[in-house]
Amino acid sequence: MAAKKKRTPNVQNDSWVVVAADSVIDTQKHDSDPAFVRLRNPLTDAASLYMLGSGDVQLYEVKAFEEDFHSWFVGQTVQRDGRLIFVTPMDPLYLILPYLIKSGKEGKFQPVDQVVMDEEFPACSRLLSCTRSLTSLHHIAEEKEVGGLKFHRYSQERTMNWLKKKVERTVTALKKRNISVGEGVKSATFIRVKPDADSHEEDYLRYAHGLISEYISEDLSKALLKHLGLPELTSPKETEPPSKKRKLSDQPVEAEEDYTKFNSADFARKPPKKMTAAQKTLAKVDKTGMKPMSSFFSPKVKAEKK
Amino acid sequence: MDLNPFDVNNSVSCRLTSEIPEVCRTEDCCLGIDEAGRGPVLGPMVYGICFCPVSKKEDLKDLKVADSKTLSEPERENLFQTLDEAKSYVGWALQILSPNTISTSMLQRTKYNLNALSHDTAIGLVQFALDRGVQLKEVYVDTVGPAEKYEEKLSKLFPGIKVTVRPKADSLFPIVSAASICAKVARDRVVKGWNFAEDLGEVDTDYGSGYPNDPKTKAWLLKYLDPVFGYPQFVRFSWSTAQTLMDSKAVSVHWDDDEEDGEKAAQRQNNRSMLSYFGASAGGNDQNGTHQTHRYFTDRRLKSLNTL
Repeated sequence: MAAKKKRTPNVQNDSWVVVAADSVIDTQKHDSDPAFVRLRNPLTDAASLYMLGSGDVQLYEVKAFEEDFHSWFVGQTVQRDGRLIFVTPMDPLYLILPYLIKSGKEGKFQPVDQVVMDEEFPACSRLLSCTRSLTSLHHIAEEKEVGGLKFHRYSQERTMNWLKKKVERTVTALKKRNISVGEGVKSATFIRVKPDADSHEEDYLRYAHGLISEYISEDLSKALLKHLGLPELTSPKETEPPSKKRKLSDQPVEAEEDYTKFNSADFARKPPKKMTAAQKTLAKVDKTGMKPMSSFFSPKVKAEKK
Repeated sequence: MDLNPFDVNNSVSCRLTSEIPEVCRTEDCCLGIDEAGRGPVLGPMVYGICFCPVSKKEDLKDLKVADSKTLSEPERENLFQTLDEAKSYVGWALQILSPNTISTSMLQRTKYNLNALSHDTAIGLVQFALDRGVQLKEVYVDTVGPAEKYEEKLSKLFPGIKVTVRPKADSLFPIVSAASICAKVARDRVVKGWNFAEDLGEVDTDYGSGYPNDPKTKAWLLKYLDPVFGYPQFVRFSWSTAQTLMDSKAVSVHWDDDEEDGEKAAQRQNNRSMLSYFGASAGGNDQNGTHQTHRYFTDRRLKSLNTL
C-alpha cells in the first residue's frame, strides 16, 4: 500500500469521448464533414477549439469535463483520460464581434469578408458561411447597401442591446434549469419553506452577465455591466471592515495608558525579564495589524461609563 | 454439501447450512467456530460452525474428529461425511467469504480489516444458530487476535452464553474440530472447482496451495496478471503478494484516496501555499491578471480546449 506510484504524463491519444448535438452528425445535406477548428477566443484573444458543422452551417463550441482520477472503458479498450468533451451550438456573432470592433475603430463601413480576416486563424472566414452570421450582423453593426453590396460598421449601441437580450435569455434559462446563482452554497435536497424570489433578481442578472462575459472581451463585459445597470462589485479587499473602530465621541481623546512611567528612572534600571523559549518565538512573530486580545473586551465598558 | 448456491455467484459471500437437528432446539447445546483459508492469496475464506447437544459432546469424540490440520484430505472428506450423517444430533453452517468480498472489504475507502471481517462473520453464524432456535449454552472459538478481548466482545454480544475463546481451540474441543473440518472441506472443494467468472479460456489450475510463499502459487500469479485488470476474482487483491506484483508489472492506477506526498499532491491539485495569503499582493492579484473562469464552468469542471 505504501508503494509510491509514479505519474506518467498524459499520452496523446487519437480518440475522444464526445457528447455532441444531433446537428453535428447530420452530414446528409452537405458534402463536407464537421471539423474541429482553432479560432480566436473573444475573451482570451488566444486560440480555442471550436467545431464547424458540415458545410460550415453551424458553429459549435468545445468544452471538456476534466477531473482527476477518471478513465474510460470504451469497448475493449481503456482510454486514459477521463475527459468528456461537449460540442454545443454557439452563436458565431461572438467570434465575429472582435473583428468588427477592431475595424470599427476606423469608423468606416466595410464589407464583412474584408473585416473577418486573420492571418493567425485563417479559418475565421468560414464563420461567415454559418447560416446565422450574415442574417444577424445587424445586431452588432450598422448596415449600408450600395449597388447590391452590403457594408457594415460596428455599433456599440446595437451590440449592448443585443448582449442585454442574451443576458435576459440566459436568466430565463437559468431559472428554468433551477441553477443556483446566489453566493454561497445551496443544497438541492434542502427544501425552503418559501422560494426567495425577487430579492435574487440581481443575483440572476449578475450570474448571467458572468456567463456571457465568458464569450466577450473584458472591456465589453464592463460596458455591459453598466448597460445592465449593475454596479461594479468592489474587490473583497476594499469591502473588508476597517481594522479599527472609529471613535464616536467628539470629546478630546484621552490617553488610555500612562506612558510617562516609561520615562521614569525607576523603569530604566529594571533588568529585562527573562523570557521562556515559547515567549521568545512568540516575540519574533510579526504582529503588525493584529489586535491585542484585550481590545475585544475593553471598549464597551468605557462607552457605558460615558 | 451442496456448493451450488456459491458457484452461481462466487463473487459474494454465501451461507450453506445443514438441517437443524430437532434435539438441538430442545436441549442445551454447545457450538464450535473455526475458519479455513485465512492466509492464502487465492480462494475464499470459509467460516464454519458445528453444534450439538451438550450431552452428545462425548459422542463426537467417538467419531474421531480431530484438528483438521493433522488430517489428510481424504480423511477430512470421510470425517465430514460422518458428521453429515450424524444429522440426528449434529448441525453445521458455513459462511464462504469469496476472495472478492475480502478484497473489496479490505480495499474500500473505510478499510474493513480481516480481523473485523472474521469477527463479524463468526458473530453472524452464532446469531444464525440462535435465530434457528438452537438452544446455545456454550460457544467455543479458535481465536482471531487477542483471545481475552475477543472473548469479552462475544460474551457481551451473547449474554447468557458461556463463550470460550482459546488459541488452538480446534485441537482442544471436539466441537471446534468438527467445525474446522466442515470449513476446510468446503474451502478445498471450492478452490478445486473454482468457477472463473472471467473469460480466461482453458485455465491452468495448477496453482498449488494458494499460500503466498508457495512457488507454484507465485508462478500462477505471474502468469495470470493482466496489465489493466490485474487478476481474476479468485485472487485476493488486498494481499501484499498480489499488490507487489501489480505495482511492478501492471499499469499503475491512481485512486482518489491514494496517499501521495503532501507537497506534490498539493501542487497537482493547484492548492496554494498558506504563505501566499500573507504576501504583499494577497488576494486579487494571484491570477496574474488572467481572467478567472466563471463559476458555472469551474463548478462543473468544464474547460475550454485549445487542442485535442
